[in-house]
Amino acid sequence: MSRNLTSLSARKGLSENLFERIGELSEKEGAPSEEGLRQLAEEFLMGPANLYGAASFYDFTRPENKDIKVYACSGSACLLAGTQPALKARLGAFFREEEIGQVCCLGRCHENAAFHYQGRNYSGQDAGKLQDIVDGRHTGGQDQYEARAHGRSLLTRDFPSLDNCRHTLAGILARGPEAALSEAILSGLRGRGGAGFPMAVKMKSCREAPGAEKFVVCNADEGDPGAFSDRYLLEQQPYSVLMGMLLAGYITGAESGVLYIRAEYPEAIVRIGQAIAELEWQGMAGADILGSGFSFRFKAIKARGAYICGEETALLASIEGQRPEVRVRPPYPTQEGLFGKPTLVSNVETLACLYHILRDGGAAFAKIGAKPSAGTKLLSLDSSFARPGVCEVEMGTPLATLVDELGGGFRHPVKALHIGGPLGGLVPVGMIPELTIDFESFARHGFLLGHASVVGIPEGYPMIAYLEHLFEFAAHESCGKCFPCRLGSVRGKELLQKARAGECAISEALFEDLLDTLEKGSLCGLGGGLPLPVRNALQYFQEELKPYFSQTQIAVQ
Amino acid sequence: MNQHQVAFINDKAHEMREGETILSFIRRHHGEGYVPTLCDNPLLEPFGSCRLCSVEVARPGNGALKTVAACHTPVAEGMHIFTDTEAIRRLRHNIVELILTDHPLDCLTCEANGRCELQQVAARVGIREVRYPAGRNHLGRPKDESHPYLRSDLSKCINCYQCVRACDEVQGEFVLSMAGRGFDNHIIKGLDTSFANSYCVSCGACAQACPTAAISDIFQPAARSATETVRTVCTYCGVGCNLEVAKHDNTILSISAPEDAEVNHGHTCVKGRYAFRFYNHPDRLRSPMIRRNGQLEAVSWDEAYDYIAERLTAIRAEYGPGAIAGISSSRCTNEENYLMQKFMRAVIGTNNIDGCARVCHAPTALGMQRTFGTGAATNSIGDLQFTDCILVIGANPTTGHPVTGAKIKQQAMKGKTLIVVDPRRTELARHATYHLQLRPGTNVALLNMMIYYILKEKLEDRGFIEERTEGFEELRRNIMALDLDAMEAVCGVGRELVREAAVAYATAPNAMSFHGLGVTEHYQGTFAVMQIAALAMLTGNIGRRGVGVNPLRGQNNVQGAADMGVQPNLGPGYLDIRNPEMRQTYEAVYGVSLPSEPGYTIPGMFEAAAEGKLKALWIMGEDVVQTEPNTDKVRHALQQLDLFILQELFYSETASYADVILPAASFFEKSGTFTNGERRIQRVNRVAPPLPGTKADGEIITDIMNRMGYPQLTYDPATLLEEISQVAPAFRGVRWERLGRNGLQWPVAEDGTDTQILHTETFKLGKGRLFYIDYQESRELEKYGEEYPLILTTNRGLEHYNSGSMTRRTQDTDIVGEDLLLINPEDARSRGIEDGDKVTLSSARGAVSIRAKITDVVRPGVLSTTFHFPEILVNQITSDVLDSEADCPEYKVVAVEVEVRLREGIP
Repeated sequence: MSRNLTSLSARKGLSENLFERIGELSEKEGAPSEEGLRQLAEEFLMGPANLYGAASFYDFTRPENKDIKVYACSGSACLLAGTQPALKARLGAFFREEEIGQVCCLGRCHENAAFHYQGRNYSGQDAGKLQDIVDGRHTGGQDQYEARAHGRSLLTRDFPSLDNCRHTLAGILARGPEAALSEAILSGLRGRGGAGFPMAVKMKSCREAPGAEKFVVCNADEGDPGAFSDRYLLEQQPYSVLMGMLLAGYITGAESGVLYIRAEYPEAIVRIGQAIAELEWQGMAGADILGSGFSFRFKAIKARGAYICGEETALLASIEGQRPEVRVRPPYPTQEGLFGKPTLVSNVETLACLYHILRDGGAAFAKIGAKPSAGTKLLSLDSSFARPGVCEVEMGTPLATLVDELGGGFRHPVKALHIGGPLGGLVPVGMIPELTIDFESFARHGFLLGHASVVGIPEGYPMIAYLEHLFEFAAHESCGKCFPCRLGSVRGKELLQKARAGECAISEALFEDLLDTLEKGSLCGLGGGLPLPVRNALQYFQEELKPYFSQTQIAVQ
Repeated sequence: MNQHQVAFINDKAHEMREGETILSFIRRHHGEGYVPTLCDNPLLEPFGSCRLCSVEVARPGNGALKTVAACHTPVAEGMHIFTDTEAIRRLRHNIVELILTDHPLDCLTCEANGRCELQQVAARVGIREVRYPAGRNHLGRPKDESHPYLRSDLSKCINCYQCVRACDEVQGEFVLSMAGRGFDNHIIKGLDTSFANSYCVSCGACAQACPTAAISDIFQPAARSATETVRTVCTYCGVGCNLEVAKHDNTILSISAPEDAEVNHGHTCVKGRYAFRFYNHPDRLRSPMIRRNGQLEAVSWDEAYDYIAERLTAIRAEYGPGAIAGISSSRCTNEENYLMQKFMRAVIGTNNIDGCARVCHAPTALGMQRTFGTGAATNSIGDLQFTDCILVIGANPTTGHPVTGAKIKQQAMKGKTLIVVDPRRTELARHATYHLQLRPGTNVALLNMMIYYILKEKLEDRGFIEERTEGFEELRRNIMALDLDAMEAVCGVGRELVREAAVAYATAPNAMSFHGLGVTEHYQGTFAVMQIAALAMLTGNIGRRGVGVNPLRGQNNVQGAADMGVQPNLGPGYLDIRNPEMRQTYEAVYGVSLPSEPGYTIPGMFEAAAEGKLKALWIMGEDVVQTEPNTDKVRHALQQLDLFILQELFYSETASYADVILPAASFFEKSGTFTNGERRIQRVNRVAPPLPGTKADGEIITDIMNRMGYPQLTYDPATLLEEISQVAPAFRGVRWERLGRNGLQWPVAEDGTDTQILHTETFKLGKGRLFYIDYQESRELEKYGEEYPLILTTNRGLEHYNSGSMTRRTQDTDIVGEDLLLINPEDARSRGIEDGDKVTLSSARGAVSIRAKITDVVRPGVLSTTFHFPEILVNQITSDVLDSEADCPEYKVVAVEVEVRLREGIP
């Protein structure tokens, strides 16, 4: 992150947003032209190198991907479902090899065989309609999956009418921002993006940060392969997300809200755009909302394909048109965030919860769930379940309830659940009865609830291959800034690859050194989080993995 | 210890400072190398990529140990920090091992061997082998050797980003960036091109920052064999950058910028860092020469001295001392300048002494003396971080004063208000909040408009005006009667833009102005300076941090030359030689009586020579034929002299007219002091002895003084500074040994206390003086504007220095090898000129042939060019008009016309 680039980008801010301009330059040919970059650099007083450097980072703007026409999903769920080799074979009939790329998770984990073509997502049976798709006769559309709740439901029940919402909003605005903050404190809401950080603390810090201009940023870059609960909220419950943002703005003193939505979710981008327009039309967004004197403007920004943008500092750098590299903290975004201004960065689900908290009161929310994990939690179940889809449970619900009741059990034998994305814990099926769905239970047992995506690893899928997949994912998505993650993710992948191919066994000492380096040395949760599922696998699938490891010790001097 | 907050390093309590990082806390108590790092750089913001500075910490009330990176984690009271536990040693080892999986292990043949930071860290953490099997790597990356100075071998890159950050945070050029993602991250230049094809300004900040040999310069490999480094001060502009010169056996190997230098903080420009090879260039003059029968003959120093002494004595006897004059040099030391004026005044007996300040900042000195009483910058460059608004008038510091320019640009990029008044769209103008692109020569009109709006909007600082100034009412009366329509038409800048800029300047809590030769080298140069001073006084922007009037002095020691009395009317320390009491100060020390009549200015000398009144001229290091305006007039004047002595490094355009040529030595070959544009007197330390056959200028003058019967001690800066401190009041406390590493800013009190900010309580004049000045069109345009409808304004380029005598003898010519004429597309089109055409540029004086470059850097009706190359000798066409007050030539307004002479490929 460069303070100079931040400041130069801020001159045009959100209205002529640099990141969007880079994206637009790439729309035509898949990557920006040199002349386009030069002109843009001149306009923003930056170097062409900065803009090229940014464009070369994203899957959908990097020059290497210029020729790619269709992207097959390489996410964990599609990988484990085993649908992708057949899909690629089918795609091969219509596209040359260099026209077929990979994208990490399109959020179609419930039916797999997912691919992305001309800005639209396809999955399930769509691969059989490739001729129609290429001819433009079939344009995919909204996929179908169930959203169910167990116990009280906030996020998955039908959103009341906008009239009702207007009434709620007027009431909250009448009581003032301090009252709203108090309710948020009372609710005990913790971030749903994965870290579980108390939301009210963040809002308070942003509220108290000096500065006339502040931002609320909705982190809608749900990149975890296997997760699609944020996609559900963006597409099916957009008003609770937008209202949550607006109210977070009200509490913190921000008048601008940015939704950073991954390009892999084209339907979400469209739906949010419609919902914003509707709110503006209704006078529930924009200037002087409901005559309260409070103004709040939304801006939806389409991301361009980089998992790391789910990390908040990378996300902010991305919006500024900089390379989305993780930056050091402090300063925290609430002090110095988007364009150098105090910024609240929050996850889609967290913001949606906020709306319900301020409608029903913080105490009501706090009563739900298992303290200190209050409220409900969304989980997404992949196609290994008999009933895949999005589930809402009260915090503290037994994991077994989710698996057996909501998920209807497994479709085929599963040996472990990967919960919480690629950096979440690898839960062997034997541990399912031990866990309840809340931050504490998972942490206590050496797992991580994270963003609560649930992917089943089939009995027959080699764990060594899955570990290689995890390292490959980290290597592909590492921003490359810190040494441990940039180098360690690749070296780990190579070790596993060679071991799987029978070239050479992995030295246990070296592997342990690598995991320790990633865990302790990485700048952010990507490199730092990777060792968790790997260690889970080493612990619970020791027998299966043993043949790939050797105990030859090479001592560290 | 009790009052301080403490934290613990390896169980030992140390005093901590609020807000500092763990790394800085550890370094303050245990020194630089205590914790290894590869991405940390004191000039750059904490970055946190290498993770080698990781330490274990336990926070009070929480015994759990946590691993954190020291470089970006703030220290907390009571925190326990462990820097060298088993776990930390293991982590560091394992990180370095990972680095080495993608690094060529060719240390012994690597140019960075011995200075490579990776090598040092690897040795420290004890890497014996790389345990990973061979995998993907970047060892095959091609080298870039396209640039005359910089090169890259990115197979050696460890992705620490220091080069990218230096290019951004230090220079502000954005040439370098990281590209790609993850393992494929790689450094790019521009749009993934070579150094030569990028917009690189060759400052070398990246090469200095690189911990390995991934980006280096052509001199760094040789620097390994350096046996010694000498710190000295750059000669290429008035910024006064400190240079660390690495040498071996009196040969200069490379130059770097010391990080502890207050002036340049580890930074320098292409000239300072790389353009040093002139110093032992084969072209250097190696022997004194005397012209006999039209031919120059090499003679011994004795013979030359005898000849000079004899001839000067004879001319003085026949025509009187007034027939002899000297031009001193701003590239020489204070001590040498002092000696030169002393020689003229005390030995010859004339005040005919002047220096190149005449052709650059004489109007500044005079204008600021008239308004404040002191003709020097009121503040320091370091004040940039305390100001809220920067006004740059007639200066292009990113080119002329690159290190200061970079600092201004850094402030502007971060959002500080920047107002640029310049006919050209300079680099700073690109970044400016307001660019007032006026017609050349109309500074006074524009500044009057600014004053008008400040008064009209009642934004003046009444308190300051009443308490500290005089002349306000008269100024106000005249300003309010200004014909705005006329002024707007004259300067060609819309009044609304002028108003906005004036309001921004006046309403900023602290506003700071900088000006350059675009203010002074004008018919109304002194007057414009007086108005800049008025702007500052009217808005109360004087006497504290972050404000003031700050001329960007052109040459390295032009401030010092004036301080030393290289002026025909003022002696050392600016005492008026007409005043008997003041003269007495000098006479007491010099032991002779001095002349009281002011002498000739430089233009006056040429007039007098042409008229036969001046018979002998001694020039120390100035190429007047190439640099003075209207070359033919200068040539003619030199031809009329009976005796013309020239002290030079190289055979210059001027040398063709000399009767005696004395081979002098460069700044690398002498000691003394230079005074930079913020009045900072800094030590120049001799790096190597003068080349065989040459002598330092100070030594030459001393020899002649003695030869002519005046006992002058051997040249020694310490002794001379002691003498100067007796005659120049502002130098009272200046002593060689007190100057230390970062010098002292005058005035320096008896006890050695120096001064960062002038006029804090009162002005030297008591009250500051406000004047109203009416705009007047230059006579050049009045006389020739009709016949020559375009205006040429001359300026300097980044890569070359004035006449280019030094920089043209370095690889800088591979970057810029000719003067180009910048012309607006509109003017080019109407004259049928295409980019790269050879054109004839003519004025009332004559014509030169030059290549055209079409650009919107200049507005329609305005042309600009540099004057570095004798092949073009653009001063053949510049004007005779002088500043009405200070005799400074008007280089910036020349009435010209241009036409195509030759198109490549078409005969």
